[in-house]
Amino acid sequence: MSDVLVSARGLEVHFPVRSGGALRRTAGVLRAVDGVDLDIHRGETLGLVGESGCGKSTLGNALLRLVEPTGGRVTFDGTDVTGLGRRALRDLRRRAGMVFQDPFASLDPRRTVAQTVAEPLEVHGLRSGRRERAARVGELLELVGLDPAVAGRYPHEFSGGQRQRVGIARALAGEPDFLVCDEAIASLDVSVQAQVLNLLRRLQRKLGLTLLFISHDLSAVRHISDRIAVMYLGRVVEVGPASAVGAEPQMPYTQALLSAVPVPHPALERSRQRIVLRGDVPSPADVPSGCRFRTRCPHAFEPCPGVDPALQPVGAAPGHVAACHLHGVVGGPVEREGTVASAR
Amino acid sequence: MTVPAQKAPEAGAPASLRPARPRWRETLGLLVRNPTAAVAGLVLLAIVLVAVFDEALAPSGPNEIAVEDRLRPPSWAHPFGTDDLGRDILSRVVLGAAVSLRVGFLAVGIALVVGSVIGLLAGFYGRWVDDVLMRVMDVLFAFPAVLLAIAVLAVRGPGPGNTALAIGIVYVPIFARVTRASVLGVREEVYVRASRSVGASDWRLLTRHVLPNAAPPIIVQTSISLAFAVLAEAALSFLGLGTQPPDPSWGLMLAEGRGFIDLAWWLAFFPGMAIFVTVLCFNLLGDGLRDVLDPRQRTLMAGGGR
Amino acid sequence: MTAPVLEVEDLRVQLRTPRGTAHVVNGLSYSVGPGETVAVVGESGSGKSVSVLALLGLLPARTATVSGRALLHGEDLLAMPADRLREVRGPGVGMVFQDPMTSLNPMLTVGRQLVEGIRAHGEVPKTEARRRAVELLGEVGLPDPGRAVDRYPHELSGGMRQRVMIAIALSNSPALLIADEATTALDVTVQAQIIDLVEKLQADHGTGVVWITHDLGVVAGIADRVLVMYGGRCVEDGTVDDVLERPAHPYTRGLLGALPDLTAPADELATVPGVPPAPTALPSGCVFWPRCPVRADPRCETEQPPLAVVGASGGSLPHRAATWCAEEVSLV
Repeated sequence: MSDVLVSARGLEVHFPVRSGGALRRTAGVLRAVDGVDLDIHRGETLGLVGESGCGKSTLGNALLRLVEPTGGRVTFDGTDVTGLGRRALRDLRRRAGMVFQDPFASLDPRRTVAQTVAEPLEVHGLRSGRRERAARVGELLELVGLDPAVAGRYPHEFSGGQRQRVGIARALAGEPDFLVCDEAIASLDVSVQAQVLNLLRRLQRKLGLTLLFISHDLSAVRHISDRIAVMYLGRVVEVGPASAVGAEPQMPYTQALLSAVPVPHPALERSRQRIVLRGDVPSPADVPSGCRFRTRCPHAFEPCPGVDPALQPVGAAPGHVAACHLHGVVGGPVEREGTVASAR
Repeated sequence: MTVPAQKAPEAGAPASLRPARPRWRETLGLLVRNPTAAVAGLVLLAIVLVAVFDEALAPSGPNEIAVEDRLRPPSWAHPFGTDDLGRDILSRVVLGAAVSLRVGFLAVGIALVVGSVIGLLAGFYGRWVDDVLMRVMDVLFAFPAVLLAIAVLAVRGPGPGNTALAIGIVYVPIFARVTRASVLGVREEVYVRASRSVGASDWRLLTRHVLPNAAPPIIVQTSISLAFAVLAEAALSFLGLGTQPPDPSWGLMLAEGRGFIDLAWWLAFFPGMAIFVTVLCFNLLGDGLRDVLDPRQRTLMAGGGR
Repeated sequence: MTAPVLEVEDLRVQLRTPRGTAHVVNGLSYSVGPGETVAVVGESGSGKSVSVLALLGLLPARTATVSGRALLHGEDLLAMPADRLREVRGPGVGMVFQDPMTSLNPMLTVGRQLVEGIRAHGEVPKTEARRRAVELLGEVGLPDPGRAVDRYPHELSGGMRQRVMIAIALSNSPALLIADEATTALDVTVQAQIIDLVEKLQADHGTGVVWITHDLGVVAGIADRVLVMYGGRCVEDGTVDDVLERPAHPYTRGLLGALPDLTAPADELATVPGVPPAPTALPSGCVFWPRCPVRADPRCETEQPPLAVVGASGGSLPHRAATWCAEEVSLV
């Protein structure tokens, strides 16, 4: 079961930043994803957390090639995804689904629930014949806890939670091995979030799915994930078993992030020492040299600006890695010094 | 897990890929409930029928000259009166409907097909496709409309077909722009990305998701343009470039009646009214369609406060 | 105990909608003392935001009917003429909304917007107002306030914009600050900064705060008192410890159970089945009964339970809940 399904090596997604004006000259580079190494094991749920703008969503999209990577490699079940042709890419789309954040925006308002859920079946020619497709749509709706009788209705007739179930049914229609949930519960009410979290977890177990659960909500990620990866400014800075990352975070950023999550226990909240970070996340168009967290890190010391830290084993749990010099200075000297300086 | 609220608000037929009711029937049903649009639609239907069966409906030949009956005011024999050559104005308005509408539909048809395809491609693919196509449209748009139409007619010669072509070319950039603007918005919708994520091809995205959702402003533009095309045909005929005498067209009749406006008002009044009513109805129908085509409006109207 | 800053009594709001009259707020009463933070908690559609918009006369007059009383230092906000209300808004009540980008004018520098707020409520010379604006931006923790004052909203990050909003809200040292999901759009680390800031300012100025949120974690950290809203009613209130540690209403209990706990992960989350009722079609009896897992009393479906004291409270405030099933809940 520890066999890797999805793997990223040195993955980069850089967007050109264009200056205004008719000529649209490239003024800089926005490093949304900037050298990510990540393995997702078959059958596990990997939680990907980070603050807005850290590139977690872009990473999720790049793994499915919904955003074109500008560098590095992604392999899915052993095949390199980055070089796939049209037909092979379509097959990848069947084997890897995506659930989107806003269930009000992710369903075509002019198509019925059945038409939406049946789209993957039509695209991939999975069930021929109207009758079989309709039966399959009914199955899928039942699977996500909806009454198959609602198939003929339009999205606006449903609540947010119900729409998200429709979105999940669509993502599951092609019988994928891999499901990316991109902030899939962020727009839902608390009580409905719990319903969807439970559903995802049940489906993951029942169908043996591999899940990448992208969220800014650490509590939800901690709840649903087997392992957690933390992203900061385009880089994965800590990965490990959920219990280890949740209880003994090793990278100062993860520590700050966890300490900032409010928990619904007043006594605990009062006694807890929050690590309040200074300032804001730097712009991904102007990434600090060396360790990208150093500008806000309470523990920054000499090697931080000069050496770009690599992920190294930390803590007691096996498979727990973090990119931080506090655990020994590991990593290449700063490259791109010139570009960083000139970007200023 | 028991989630009663996740079940259907009411039980219905078993799962089907089709909506409960065919879409066009629902649209029609809702349109009928909007009294203004319904009346406009009915009037237009009547006008179209008149145009189709013009020869059968016209009380007399449009070019039957009866000098002794010239410039007669409206009467039982000639409900719309007669013109300076004694021709029955009712008959000429009826036959003019065919000419005016044919030119209008043809012109808008050309503009709709060419313009929205250009707008769709430019909006969906962006980058250089957008740059090239839309700059061409800008150039076309920069010509004064009448001048452009005159140029086309000067090259190709007058006549209904060429008039329609001229008006159509003038309207292409309008449709291209409306479509592109609408597509630019729809292209970024998450449901388009979602559809791409399940492997849908560009063709499928364009035809199943982008075009249907970008359509409402195009449909509204179509009905408004029909109104303007009828007006433009009138204007070109008025200038002597469109329909050639003695064929009747509303614009031409208006032009011819102009000289007799204080002597015999009915010469210009009835073709003018025909233009006015047709244009108004197209506009009202366009407004009605816009409301009805929005699925959110749909439930609100159909549910009547569910 | 000192006189409360705000006293709301039997606030009711009805909105006319195409689908009929929406009973959005149905008899809400609470008070906020100086330096006190009252958290109003609820899901979307619970009426929590509308209840404060109504206080400030910010609902569309054509469709909204507001009744009840809301005394700000003894003066009824709901009975005030519009111009008096406008006078009160700045110095009396400051407001911070969820989305700072739409609450700020994109065409004006933050300094201009601050100066306007300061000068709208008193004769302050321009230079003095600008000096005060820079001071305020420093106070809310904007780095380099002397330069930030000349920036446009789009040049600032979300957290910075929310700080500017707070600076504007506090520019006239109001007695009451209303924060409507003020940190919902922000990242947790920035949220922590903003909460720290509000707590500090509150301690310095003795401002009363009404904090509207759906996030029970934030409530635990910031609130003195909690008011849980459901279907436009207060279904439970009391001190933050009473409500969050010893919830008495099945809804509050369900809401807490639905939260994944960072400190103690569970296998399956408890859920509140179904969705909240539409304010146009509230159920008879207890507003929560259609979704209630307890439903142990014959009156649940027919009679509306009053807000009654439940159990002994550890604090100075009574712990109340509007349920027929308080005993059954405590046994579960």
